[in-house]
Amino acid sequence: MVSLKTLPEEELVTGGSAACAGCQAILAFRLALKVLGKDTVLVNPAGCMTLSAVYPFTPYGVPWVHGAIENASAVASGVKAGLRASGKQAHVVCQAGDGATYDIGFQSLSGAAQRNEDIIYICYNNSSYGNTGFQASSATPLGSMTLTTPPGSAAPWGNDANRKNMPRIMAAHGIPYVATASVGYEMDFLKKVEAARDIRGFRYIEVLTACPTGWGHDPEDAKTIGRELVDLGIWPLFEIREGKLKVTMRPRFGDITPWMRRQKRFRHLSGEQIARIAESVKREWETLEKDFYGTAQY
Amino acid sequence: MAIPHEGERELLTGNKSAAYGALLSEVRCAPFFPITPQTGIMEAFAEWKSAGVYQGEFHTLESEHSVLSSAIGSQLTGQRTFTGSSSQGLMLMFEMLPIASGLRLPMVVANVSRGLSAPITLWCDHNDVLMTRDTGFVTFICESNQEILDSVIIAYRVAEDERVLLPAMVNMDGFTHSFTREPVDIPSVKEVRSFLPELRQEVTLDTEHPKTLGIPVMSEYTLFRQQVHRAQRNALTVVDRAHREFAKLTGRKYSSVESFRMENAECAIVGIGANASIMKAAVEEMRKEGRAVGMVRLRLIRPFPYDEVAEALRGTKCVAVVDQNLSPGSGGILYTEVSRALRKYRGVVCDYIAGLGGKPVSVSDVRDIAENAMRSKTDTVKWVM
Repeated sequence: MVSLKTLPEEELVTGGSAACAGCQAILAFRLALKVLGKDTVLVNPAGCMTLSAVYPFTPYGVPWVHGAIENASAVASGVKAGLRASGKQAHVVCQAGDGATYDIGFQSLSGAAQRNEDIIYICYNNSSYGNTGFQASSATPLGSMTLTTPPGSAAPWGNDANRKNMPRIMAAHGIPYVATASVGYEMDFLKKVEAARDIRGFRYIEVLTACPTGWGHDPEDAKTIGRELVDLGIWPLFEIREGKLKVTMRPRFGDITPWMRRQKRFRHLSGEQIARIAESVKREWETLEKDFYGTAQY
Repeated sequence: MAIPHEGERELLTGNKSAAYGALLSEVRCAPFFPITPQTGIMEAFAEWKSAGVYQGEFHTLESEHSVLSSAIGSQLTGQRTFTGSSSQGLMLMFEMLPIASGLRLPMVVANVSRGLSAPITLWCDHNDVLMTRDTGFVTFICESNQEILDSVIIAYRVAEDERVLLPAMVNMDGFTHSFTREPVDIPSVKEVRSFLPELRQEVTLDTEHPKTLGIPVMSEYTLFRQQVHRAQRNALTVVDRAHREFAKLTGRKYSSVESFRMENAECAIVGIGANASIMKAAVEEMRKEGRAVGMVRLRLIRPFPYDEVAEALRGTKCVAVVDQNLSPGSGGILYTEVSRALRKYRGVVCDYIAGLGGKPVSVSDVRDIAENAMRSKTDTVKWVM
């Protein structure tokens, strides 16, 4: 079982990458590779992490390839087929942002999941198109300001659409492992990476990664922001194995206002709007518990 | 398991010929998605996989875009990869084509030409393959089913050469080749092995020697793309050598530019693909009548053999380029390529748009084209309706 004591000191993602200050996504992969080890191939669709390496420098100590934005799952399917054909073993891991997962890459992701390709798909969700400067994706939460959903007198919400429930959509593919995580709770995340590592077939982990540049908060607050969104129930942490749900972190819930007020992306919202968002958080939990009634574990 | 009919002559469709070329090249990965008129290639692989004849990876994905992405993935592990597509499917792959050449992946893609929508057509013209000529693929365009089978093998030999290291495309005409059977000599695996050495790809996703591939670059970009161009130009001599050695092995002679009855020709018809056979038949007829007409077939479209084309057409007074494609607002695509080869030419070069969407081009159409070209004083785009 993964623990702080057993995590290797060796860094397979070194410092000095081109990621923004406080970026939780690069941290997610630095930590995940400590669990996955050297025999890992990273397949990267266009996104923030594409720019973590800039020629002739690379932070990666494992093979890494960038194909295009919408096809990480397909490139990874081919890499796995090639490894099978050559009799080699390695974890093939997609390193995909939420835009490349929820939106443009959804078709290839769904196809690969349906085929139960032997891939670990890690979606780092910063709830926006981050490297293009913070535009809305279908993972952007209700009420978020982005550069494509600027709040104004005719648009009081900023983003007025609800996000897709991607982990549940992935679970509906009947794949062996689905989990949600937050870098704020890194050991919970790493336990899930470990669980995924030891299963074969298509494994989907979605890790919420605070984005100081886009979300508009101090880089040093990234970890607490990532913890509180779990504590407040905004991002439920769970695993779904063979259709059975296990909630891995029980939130304390409570007032989400201070958490929202700390981020520029929510600063335009009125108390009434925040109350509506709090309501939707509660509803999401009720739905989760209702859907898995009788099988859910805590 | 032995390959059926290896070393024999069989009646094969163009699709089966392409699949045979790949099977004999001992490809290890073959991702596919169905599209008319390509499906015969993937069905051949499905059957061979099911019968244990083909023991590599055969998998179907949810789109052509994913097929080429998967091909890139498997070739990145150093495994010989093959796929095929057509028309809209090739257009959906389009984004990944320059990525395959930029990553220097020597895969082979068989394209079965079909006109592009809209309106939708299933029949052949060459807009699909010719639209990919700027993507870095070494591109062969075939006239017969035998040539299709042979070209897949030759394409791997050229693509995998260390002076080239580029993906290659082998083109056939939808229906005319893909679903029409012709007698085809199937080489033996042993023969093919003596011509096509085992793939040794240096740059792979190897966990022992980790590399960061497809990395963002700044001003170095030009350098990387220039290398693709240089590799393309290197391919000219590599193709010639492969053609010579293939002829030694099988007795079947190919060249980048094929001259047919060009001795003392005053008018040359230039064309590609299956219709080249019709053009040759028309030339034969006219020669019998004492007309000085010849035909030049372009087999290699990328790299474009400019010098060889100029040489083949030297001494003629007029050239009739038959374009089974259209670049709206310009005219025929081959016309612009041939014109570039003929920048020192003093005769008239005419452009004929013929056979779009599979419209049959007859011997008498070709005769009319030649007659018209011999009368023409100016270069204009003409339509064979």
